[in-house]
Amino acid sequence: MAPQLTLQAPLELPPTEVSPYLTQLWSQGLQGATGAATFTLVVWEPAWLEQHLIRTGRCDGPITGLVNEERLEAARLAVSECGLPFSTAPMAPDLAWALGQLGGEHQAQDLRGQFVSGAISAHMPRRLITLAATLADNHPLETMVAAYCPLPEEGGTGGACGDVVVLKGGMGALHQGLALISPLVGNDLPCWVWWNGSLDEAPEMLSALAPIPRRLMVDSSLGTPRRCLDLLVERIGAGQAVNDLNWLRLRSWRESLAMVFDPPGRRDALNHVVQLDIDVEGNHPVKGLLLAAWIADRLGWHLENSFVIPTGEASGDGFGAEFQRTDGESVRFRLMPVPVGVPKAHPGALVGLRLICAPAERPPLCVILCSESGGCMRLESGGMASMELAEEVVPLPNESEEMEVARLLGGGHDTTNPLLAAAVPLAAKLLAH
Amino acid sequence: MNAILTNPLRVGLRQERVISPQCIVIFGASGDLTHRKLIPALFELFRQRRLPSEFAVLGCARRPWSDEEFRSRMATALGEEVRNHQSAWEQFASCLFYEPVDLEQPEHVVRLGQRLEVIDRLKATRGNRTFYLSVSPAFYGSGCRSLAAAGLLADPSRSRVVIEKPFGRDYGSAQQLNKVVGTCAQESQIFRIDHYLGKETVQNILVLRFANAIFEPIWNRNYIANVQITAAETVGVEERAGYYESSGALRDMVQNHLTQMLALTTMEAPGRFDPEAIRNEKAKVLQAARLADEQEPWNCCVRGQYSSGGSQARPMSGYRQEPGVNTNSTTETYVAMKLFINNWRWQGVPFYLRTGKRLPKRMSEVVLTFREAPVHLFDAAGGSPTANQLILRIQPDEGAGFLFEVKAPGSGMRSRPVDMHFSYDESFGEPSDEGYVRLLADAMLGDPTLFTRSDEVEAAWRLYTPLLELIDDSPWQLPIHPYESGTWGPGASDNLLANDGLMWRRP
Ligand SMILES: NC(=O)c1ccc[n+]([C@@H]2O[C@H](COP(=O)([O-])OP(=O)(O)OC[C@H]3O[C@@H](n4cnc5c(N)ncnc54)[C@H](OP(=O)(O)O)[C@@H]3O)[C@@H](O)[C@H]2O)c1
Repeated sequence: MAPQLTLQAPLELPPTEVSPYLTQLWSQGLQGATGAATFTLVVWEPAWLEQHLIRTGRCDGPITGLVNEERLEAARLAVSECGLPFSTAPMAPDLAWALGQLGGEHQAQDLRGQFVSGAISAHMPRRLITLAATLADNHPLETMVAAYCPLPEEGGTGGACGDVVVLKGGMGALHQGLALISPLVGNDLPCWVWWNGSLDEAPEMLSALAPIPRRLMVDSSLGTPRRCLDLLVERIGAGQAVNDLNWLRLRSWRESLAMVFDPPGRRDALNHVVQLDIDVEGNHPVKGLLLAAWIADRLGWHLENSFVIPTGEASGDGFGAEFQRTDGESVRFRLMPVPVGVPKAHPGALVGLRLICAPAERPPLCVILCSESGGCMRLESGGMASMELAEEVVPLPNESEEMEVARLLGGGHDTTNPLLAAAVPLAAKLLAH
Repeated sequence: MNAILTNPLRVGLRQERVISPQCIVIFGASGDLTHRKLIPALFELFRQRRLPSEFAVLGCARRPWSDEEFRSRMATALGEEVRNHQSAWEQFASCLFYEPVDLEQPEHVVRLGQRLEVIDRLKATRGNRTFYLSVSPAFYGSGCRSLAAAGLLADPSRSRVVIEKPFGRDYGSAQQLNKVVGTCAQESQIFRIDHYLGKETVQNILVLRFANAIFEPIWNRNYIANVQITAAETVGVEERAGYYESSGALRDMVQNHLTQMLALTTMEAPGRFDPEAIRNEKAKVLQAARLADEQEPWNCCVRGQYSSGGSQARPMSGYRQEPGVNTNSTTETYVAMKLFINNWRWQGVPFYLRTGKRLPKRMSEVVLTFREAPVHLFDAAGGSPTANQLILRIQPDEGAGFLFEVKAPGSGMRSRPVDMHFSYDESFGEPSDEGYVRLLADAMLGDPTLFTRSDEVEAAWRLYTPLLELIDDSPWQLPIHPYESGTWGPGASDNLLANDGLMWRRP
């Protein structure tokens, strides 16, 4: 679905007038339309990468906050220019930071918050509040509002509409603007907060934007692994409904692995796993650890110990652990970073998985899952001649961030997915210091 | 061996399509279907986390229950299910509401609209609504009218109506009902239920045919000699005599379930997997279907009625002795018939349909028998070689089988048939959802693929019109053959095939 621009040109108002203006707008019945009784979506949209790509002349404007192929391509090219390892994912916050060190003063129109992805607008958000941080730290607070009605082809009937509020400015200005948010969110409708940036930055901003019971959407591939997992643990522990896009992107891996064990004749092998290996792209183990934690949780393994495996390479360290199965036998777990030529968009994408099962009176079973885009030579090598081999290729997810977000908005849940809630604390323990 | 019963990695992975926030309104909330099927299916969806938290069920019927009374009655009806999942039930029950509504009183429906607005605010259900008519068919038309008059169907993107079976009782009444329903809502808002389409194995007919390149080239008159479709029940009429007496096997089973299996088996490949593309093809093939002898339908149809049977230890009473049944009843509990489909693909291939109660086995299947090999080179162990058969087992032991000849071991070149066997249980091992779970989810998702469109329903009724007219006008021409309970129906039905040199497959 193509992004959709708000129908009305946004109106710039002094911050103090935003709330009264919107109240008045809706109470006077906007051309007979009623406000959709849906939800409020608050988006933290710093778009640092996009802003720097444009500022340094690597991309054309306007700034939209949406990631597309052209932006990713420009980012990939920038990786080597910035002297970063080839395995650096284009979305990695390191890249935006490194670009930030380069000169350039290209300007572009900033349309963040005014582009609404079709997938999201199809759910008719009642209010969409975007916080658009600018590169210039001293940029004063600007506030804009616009009413919009979904187009008929997107399921809109013109009857139920929403509005869009954009808060733009430097960090200081946005902090000052935080006071506006609560009255705009209100208490009547569910509120979702999409932290569309690195989890390392602006922790006070995150706390202020996303108190319980607002439902939080984050991406645990963006930010230092420790911070990402700790934040998930803390928020889920506190009872917040947390959604992690990085976890959602694991879906096809979970599906492929489950498929291997669908035939009941294979099920017993799951009781006899002796080894689990996961290879990930570059220096970000969170996704791989979440996958391992999910498997361990589903199979009832108990974590005995976890440790770092130094590699001495730029692509980062590995992680190891020993688990104990329900029957007391042990399982060896290893997660290794592997260098890749063309990394996927997000840090820590999965390259391959190997699960070795050794049932008592049968030949061992070796399951190998391989990402569609890469080889998993490391996992395929060595010592498997006597084993039954089950090899599957895992399809790449072909959905944009906005579609994942839209899916969450569409199927509103006010609790954390129990599988994620179970996997997160375990993944945090696997991330040894 | 320490067997794992379910696949622990499957949990939470099942269906990815998400149901939008909404309120499902069940008319007939105090009735049998609601507590036997609908609430259990919704509770199952809830436990599978497929329902959003902005969700509500509003039960409606005439009796003046309160929300609390509705909840506790449903809890009682679900019994074990609730006791096994007490805390989930408590959460689910907090989404259950009740509003006394007489569908024939327009002001009640207006009041219902107001209650729905309150629920929208309480549960943030976004004005999205699925209305489920689980009331007597007499109210389908008037119910839709009241809903439309109260403005509750005005927004096609946010309101849907699910209509239970039976949709009409003949071609004329189905047409009439379609007309009424059509003035109240757009076709895209109407979901006519046929719970056979909720069965995994019925859906699998489509996948088997159109996801595999090897079947399509031989799926036609050049290779297929005949097709048998059977839906056999072991039970008798049970407590449904009141309904069954005015319906009979033809209306109760053939017009809907068997016809749906026929349509899926015979339709052309749709251009894409899209609800309208699929339903276009189904409607087209049903429009091409004809009774084998429309002028003298008694030549191609056999009706039966079960008489007493069973053993001394477990005697079974005859249909006419069942409580609530007229002692001279001429309602058929068994029907078998022969059809043709007049199109390029199927011209001349006979289709035999049969269904009955009190048959020896509960099972549904579609059997495609292929033409014999043109030249018999080998001696067959059974005299002549058995024709290849593809058997699609709908229930029980869901799966498929393929019967073909192989060399019998030993010297010489004798052939004998073997069965290649696929079983859902062996390959997937997960119990599939009850049909209503799938269908309710699809209706709430607004996906009409597994629901019957107006032209399909009409084509299905039109197909059987000569028989229905005969039964109504001169039933003696289509006599009722008694058959002993626990047998495979009347002998006359065997003759129907014997005349073509064939036999029913004995499963
Ligand atoms: N039961 C099954 O297994 C089954 C299978 C397939 C299809 N169906 C179809 O599903 C539908 C419902 O079947 P059922 O067995 O549940 O029937 P049922 O037990 O007779 O229930 C009928 C319901 O309709 C309500 N009702 C009657 N008149 C009403 C009115 N004027 N306004 C509002 N509600 C009214 C009744 O409650 P009050 O008396 O309180 O109003 C009751 O809740 C029927 O169309 C049937 O053909 C049922």
